[in-house]
Amino acid sequence: MSVKPPRPPFDPELEAVLAALADQFPVGMTAEMIPQLRASDVRALTDEQLAADDLTRRDVTIPGYGGDAITVSVIARRDHRGAGPGIFHTHGGGMVTGDRFAALGQCVPWVLEHDAVLVTVEYRLAPEHPDPYPVEDCYAGLLWTAGHAAELGIDPARLIIAGPSAGGGLAAGTALLARDRKGPELAGQVLMCPMLDDRNLTTSSYQFDGVGVWDRGSNLMGWTALLGDRRGTEDVSVYAAPARATDLSGLPPTFIDVGSAEVFRDEDVAFATGLWRDGGEAELHVWPGGFHGFDMTAPHTAVAQAAVAARNAWVARILES
Amino acid sequence: MGRPGDFRERDERTHMHHLLGRLSTSDPEAGDSLRIVAYFDVLLARGSGVAGLLRGAAVLAGCTAGAEISGRIRRRDPEGKEPAEHRDAPRAPQRSGTDWAVWLERDGEGSALDEMIVDRLAFGVELLETHRAPTGFDAVVDDARPLAERVKRLPRFRLDPSTPVRILATAADAPELGAPSAVVPTRYGLLRATLDVSGRLAATGTTGIGPWARADQAPESWEGACIAFRLTDADDPVVDASDLGAVLMLLRAHDPRAPHDDVRALARLDARSAHVLRTLVEADSIRSAAATLGMHHSSVQARHEALVEALGYDPRTNVGKMRYIAAELLQRLTDTPPGR
Repeated sequence: MSVKPPRPPFDPELEAVLAALADQFPVGMTAEMIPQLRASDVRALTDEQLAADDLTRRDVTIPGYGGDAITVSVIARRDHRGAGPGIFHTHGGGMVTGDRFAALGQCVPWVLEHDAVLVTVEYRLAPEHPDPYPVEDCYAGLLWTAGHAAELGIDPARLIIAGPSAGGGLAAGTALLARDRKGPELAGQVLMCPMLDDRNLTTSSYQFDGVGVWDRGSNLMGWTALLGDRRGTEDVSVYAAPARATDLSGLPPTFIDVGSAEVFRDEDVAFATGLWRDGGEAELHVWPGGFHGFDMTAPHTAVAQAAVAARNAWVARILES
Repeated sequence: MGRPGDFRERDERTHMHHLLGRLSTSDPEAGDSLRIVAYFDVLLARGSGVAGLLRGAAVLAGCTAGAEISGRIRRRDPEGKEPAEHRDAPRAPQRSGTDWAVWLERDGEGSALDEMIVDRLAFGVELLETHRAPTGFDAVVDDARPLAERVKRLPRFRLDPSTPVRILATAADAPELGAPSAVVPTRYGLLRATLDVSGRLAATGTTGIGPWARADQAPESWEGACIAFRLTDADDPVVDASDLGAVLMLLRAHDPRAPHDDVRALARLDARSAHVLRTLVEADSIRSAAATLGMHHSSVQARHEALVEALGYDPRTNVGKMRYIAAELLQRLTDTPPGR
């Protein structure tokens, strides 16, 4: 029998959610489960929900990586006027699942509250489209957004990038691309429990193996889908796995939040530390007992409400400055 | 902040509730009731307060839940937030006790699940109210506490460290047995631990009886009682751990959250295969198993081979029989607790 390493406990309310929905949080996912994972996506936002909030949506086909056509959706208030803040959104889903509407509920309140315009990109998924497709598609979407800012009603000085989980990793990778290619200037990056490190050598990556949400095994699956045999080797770019970046200078103000009870805890804390080390600014929240994506899965819990309030407050400060 | 709040309400509204509804198409009531029990069990075991219970009730029911305790009213909506005051809100279904009441604010027709949710909410609030005047008996059976701390509590229950005691396990919501007791979280959910020094404490319902132990080793008896409780069923509502002999050692080593592979293999079998397996183990020969099952000899032979494949061992050898019997027993500790 193997001895489990100690780990922080789950928040009591979150543990209750885990117990009640145990079958909803598979651990140790394998590549064979990707089709099932894609079929069970339930967090997508519907047009009815958009209409109920007086939001409009417009789909645009744009050139993605290698010039291939990809889709972005532009979501704005029906009464949007002039140039407001912009949000470029990269969705989550472990690099292998989800679509551009997944978990948009995290960002849509910002559109409503700050009259922002949100652009969300349908980047191509691994393993059918391995690295660099996902991050390059995201960068192509950011280029297009910045290039069409006036037409979209976006003030280019107030454009931020935001994404959860794999989308958080892609947001960070896209921001690094923007820095290194002298692309669009970002006013901020919102990295929500981001997936940053393909190496899986941190303490937290071992603590949540066979337990919790998006455990070590599932994470290895996601990275393998993205990188294949390159996972964990020297042959991985900082854009695919931003945790590998040794220079985090020249990046926009960054917001990072993560749970103490998830694989990504230590890589996310390290990323914030790296930003500070290199003279950047970051706000970091490690929510006690949070499992991966707890604010999306269990928004009714006290810890999720606190997390959402802290994040929304940061975004308000950036967008309204 | 009005609008974003409204949005969340419509968008990710009660994700739990949404999932509950979506997932339970196969056996809706059974699946949902297990989820409800599991949710509240964890909250109580982890020491959640009234607000957490209300948030849980609201998200599971998909409507506001409320509690009035000693005249103070608290309400939470399915978003986990405090809803605007609403004087005419329905209080249905409702449960109440001496100084408290809990309810859902269900507008329109409720469901069996509403009743169940408000029952668990009521149980939780009652438990919290009782804990206001803790007896301290939970510490006596808590193996996580140092011996010295446990011994310090014993005089309160007129026990010496060497007094022989045994502990009884009953359902957390079962009536008290007229002896010192406490509701405590266990690896099998919440159970009531009751002290028995006479050996004559009358067990009225489903009861697990722990082996005799010195009072300063009460946690050992309590562990046996919990295991015995899990082995009760309609035919044997009272199980005494002392009757399990050496098997108790095996059961003690079992972690229901991480069952042995033999248990997992057994759990994967459908009901028909499990029946064939049991018959094969009990029968003297394949031929007599075939007769018992009313099946052809060769099809039982084929079933046998498939079972060897599925289990990873031959249940007709001596060792295989032992593995099967052990796995079957352990599976009963892993399965849904009795009375639910």
